[in-house]
This record gives sequence, C-alpha cells and structure tokens, in this order.
Amino acid sequence: MEILQHAPVTRESLQVISDVFSQAITGELIGMSNFASLAETIDDIHEKMEAVEHADSERMHAEGFLAYSSKMKLDININIGGEYWGNVRKVFLDYAHKKDFISCLIIQEVMLESFAVSMYTDVGHALGGEAGRLFLRIADEEREHLEHSSDILRAELKENPDVFIRKFEELHFRCMNILAEFTATTDLRGHCGVCRGACMKESLHHIGLDIISLRGNALALYARAMDNIGIPGEKSIVWIACLPA
Amino acid sequence: MDCMSASLDFAVIGHQDGWQPISSLINGIRTEQFEKLNSNTIRNIYSFIPPRDIFRIIARSTTGKELHGIYIETFIDPDKLDTGHQRINIDKVKDAVSFVNKLGAKIVTLGGFTSIVLEGNLYDLPKSKTVYTTGNTLTSAYIIKGIEKAAAFCGKDPNQSNILIVGATGDIGLACVQYFKNKCKKLLLCGRNIHRLRQLALTLEDQQIPVHYSVLLEKLVPEADIIISAVSSSGIGLTNYKKGVIIGDAGFPKNIESSVECHQDLHLFYAGMGQMNGGYSFSPDYTPFMYRHPAPYISHGCVIEAMVLAFENRYESYSAGRGNISISNMEEIYGLSLRHGIEPAPLYNGKGLWQKT
Repeated sequence: MEILQHAPVTRESLQVISDVFSQAITGELIGMSNFASLAETIDDIHEKMEAVEHADSERMHAEGFLAYSSKMKLDININIGGEYWGNVRKVFLDYAHKKDFISCLIIQEVMLESFAVSMYTDVGHALGGEAGRLFLRIADEEREHLEHSSDILRAELKENPDVFIRKFEELHFRCMNILAEFTATTDLRGHCGVCRGACMKESLHHIGLDIISLRGNALALYARAMDNIGIPGEKSIVWIACLPA
Repeated sequence: MDCMSASLDFAVIGHQDGWQPISSLINGIRTEQFEKLNSNTIRNIYSFIPPRDIFRIIARSTTGKELHGIYIETFIDPDKLDTGHQRINIDKVKDAVSFVNKLGAKIVTLGGFTSIVLEGNLYDLPKSKTVYTTGNTLTSAYIIKGIEKAAAFCGKDPNQSNILIVGATGDIGLACVQYFKNKCKKLLLCGRNIHRLRQLALTLEDQQIPVHYSVLLEKLVPEADIIISAVSSSGIGLTNYKKGVIIGDAGFPKNIESSVECHQDLHLFYAGMGQMNGGYSFSPDYTPFMYRHPAPYISHGCVIEAMVLAFENRYESYSAGRGNISISNMEEIYGLSLRHGIEPAPLYNGKGLWQKT
C-alpha cells in the first residue's frame, strides 16, 4: 500500500492517517457549507456565482479525500457538528445571517484557509506518495483562495482602517480561539468528535508529524496572511499572543 | 502596514536574549485579562511567529529633536544562536528585512545576532531607500569608554594592563584591538578561528605590539587585567581570573555574570550600552515587561547608532562588514551621540549600578 513514503504502514499509522483524512474531509465540508452560505450574503450575481464555484471547489476537495480514503479503506468519520468544527461553523453563520460578506471572507478565506494550506502542506510532505500529492495539490488550490481574498481585504482595510481592524480583532477572538484550542497540544475543550479513538495529536509521530510544528506553521501562515492584508504587526502580535495555548 | 501612516525615521531589528525575558514580554502582551502562559507553552509557539513590528518608539535628543521609530522582533529562538542554526536564523533576518522594507524606515539597525548578515555579507540586502547599519561603531565606542571609566573607577591604568579581547576577530573585537593596541601593556586575543587569530596577531607583531593569542580562553584569562567580551554566543565561562580583573561584557545575551565562580574578586559591567538623556518611549508601552536596566533610558549602542544617524539626517550604512571600524569613526559617532545628550551608560551589571565601597 503506497501511503507512507518512508515508513511501513502500521495499525497505529493507519489510524492516524484515517483521522487526518477525517479531519480534512470534515474541514472541506465546512468550507463548502460556508461558501454556500456566503453566496446567500452576496447581491452581485457574479460574486454570488463565484462563491458557489468556491463551494463546489471545496466539495471537490472533499470528494478527492473521500475517494482516496475509500480506495485505501481508511476508517473515516465525518462530523461537521463536532466541538470545534461545529463552533467554527456557528461563528461563520452568525456573520452570514447578517449578510456580512467581509467577515465571512475573513473567517473562511484567511483564518480557515491559512490553517488548511499550512497543515495540508505539512501533511503532504510527511505522507508523500499519492496521498501526499493529493494534500499538496489541494493546498495549492486553497492558497489561491487565500491570495484572492487578500486583494479584497487589503482594499477594505485601506478604505476604513479602524473599522476593519476592530472587525478583524472581533473575528480573531471568536474564530481563532476555537482553532487555537483545537490545535493546542491537548484539546482544551475536549474531544473533537472526529477522531475515532483518542485524540490523534498524541499519535502524529507515527506519520512523522507533531502538533507543535503543525500548529506553529499554521499560526505563522495566518500571521503572514494578516501582514499581507496590511494589519499592523503591533496588532497581530497581541492577537496571536492572546490566543489560548 | 498600509495603515501605518507616520513616516519612520529608524527601525530596529532585534531578538530577545533568553526565555525569561520572552515569557515576561509575551505575558505582558497578553495582559492580565488572560491567564499567564508558562515558559514551555511559549517555547512551543514563539519561534514560529514571523518577524513583525511590536511597538513604536519615540526617541528624543536633548536638542529637542524627536524621531519616530519601530522595533521589529525576529522571534529567533534564544537557545539557537549557535552556528548550527545559522541558516534558519538568517532566514528570519531576511524576513525581518523584507518586513521593514515595506514599512519604509529610513535607517535600520541590525541588533544582536541579526547583524551577522551585514557583518559577514551573508545576504544581499534588497536595494531600496532604506539603509542598514550594524550599529557596531557606536557599540565599540561605548565599550571603550566603559572600559576606561571602569579602569579609572578601580584605579587601574589600561596602559599598564594586559587586555584580553574575547571575540577578537569579530567586528567589535577588531575595533577594540585597534583602539587598545597602543594603549595597553599586552593584548591577549581569543577567537574561534585560529587562522584569523594568527593573521591578526602577525599583523600586530609587525607593528611591535606585544600580543598573545589562543582559541582557548582558559589559557589567556589568568594573564588578563581587563577583559572585553565581544561575543554573542553562550557558554563563555571564566575561571582562574586575576583578583580585581575588570570585565566588560558586551555580548548579547550578557551571560558571563552567571558563569563566573566568585563575584567578589572582579568588577563586571555590561558594556556597549548608552544612556539617552533626552529619553525615549514605546507605544504600546511594554517597558514594564522588557526594561531590565537599573537607570532610566539605557539602550544598546547598536540601537542608539541608528538614532544618532537619524538625528543627524545621515542616513548611511555607517557600520557594515567586518574590520572596517576605525578609531576616527568611533570618535565621530561618539561625538555625535554626545551632541544629542547620549552618553555611555553608567557602570552596572545584573546586581545594579556600581557603587563605591
């Protein structure tokens, strides 16, 4: 079975890989749902169609992960209502219901995509082979989403810096707090409801990964995304430093 | 960055010198609203953070002139300042340089370890209006003035002393060699690179300068009356030193103090520091979590060099490369610093200001 590039597949590594795919599929389905909800918030028909297209792109990512999982007979568990994913979705919907397009964009395209791009990249390099290539290809596509949104958000920041930064700060503490708790060395809010057994973070070493690097790299990409938008470092460092750890 | 409207006269790229200061800073940034993070938790995150500005600085000359600056933290792991981690640290410095270029500061000083890129020409700094300095010329000038002040304080004549320079082939070490070569009884040179040390010693011997060199510090320490430590790496241990030896610790971190056996028989001070009588302030004000000096408005010479040049509207790469610091440059930048009310810091160490006994 070509699933790990360097090490033989063991029962433990197979379970971790299954959990990694379960998280990725759940995350993509959250993204798909978020983009579909985002389409509701947009009046411009072209932008509405673009949001649906993005939703479809996330659906295809989920399909890709599902297809591979099925081929490799991975033990997949999908739970979009789990402790962390469910709460991220709730926060997103709060803003979608208010038709707050910019807030939705920040949550989905900056916060969630930063974590997705970084973690998919790390996982892709660790797994190698067909699974690794799949993660890396999807990471590249998600990176495009991240870059596309930065252009829009840069313009938004320029228009009204104080309002934008206040909004970003509010979203950071609502959404990134959940992601930070999710990716802390121990689940700060309990089991995620996606991993089959115990938290997979304790078993990542079976596939050559560790949660400290995964989380650190994800936070670094998020920090760079904020820099790219134009959020002053003196703000972003406070926001990052104040995250649960 | 787009919403940073005020123009920047200077910027400082730096790093913290230990986990205790880092914990203090991060928990200070978190404010009392959030629970304090323990050092291990901070270690798990800190060095992943990309370089960024963390506070603005207003620096004041006693002439009334005011400068606007910014501090860029590189988030370099203080346990990884050795050569084994040079590549990753240089990447951090590159990121910081690229960050500061976007901010458009007129002059940038590369503090502590970060000066390595400019000293060693390890990286072609981007062509832009921003100029870079290591700040080593003013640091060297303050070290020298500090040594002379300490010698006077202790009733010791440098001309009758054996002066040991640790890190003698580095940029600051070479500046100290140039200054003291004709103002001491004998120069003792210590460095990591035996070839460079030998070359330096040969050059000095050609000039009839009494010199003794070694890569082994313990071979030189027993002879030294005055020691200047101009190295940034950790693990400098001093043993068998002469009673009453004067030690100027110009390293970053300043870690000699914690490694000497007995503090009663030596006079150690933190070298290369200046005191700005015009004052400075930070916004946000993290000084309660960062400031560790026993007198007000003390800062590193390398930081002050950028400020002095900005006060003088001399936006130039004043200190760059290795071995380019001349006595006249040190005199010039020192004179300029005095013009703005900036003097060598009072003699102090981790226990406080030196006191007459």
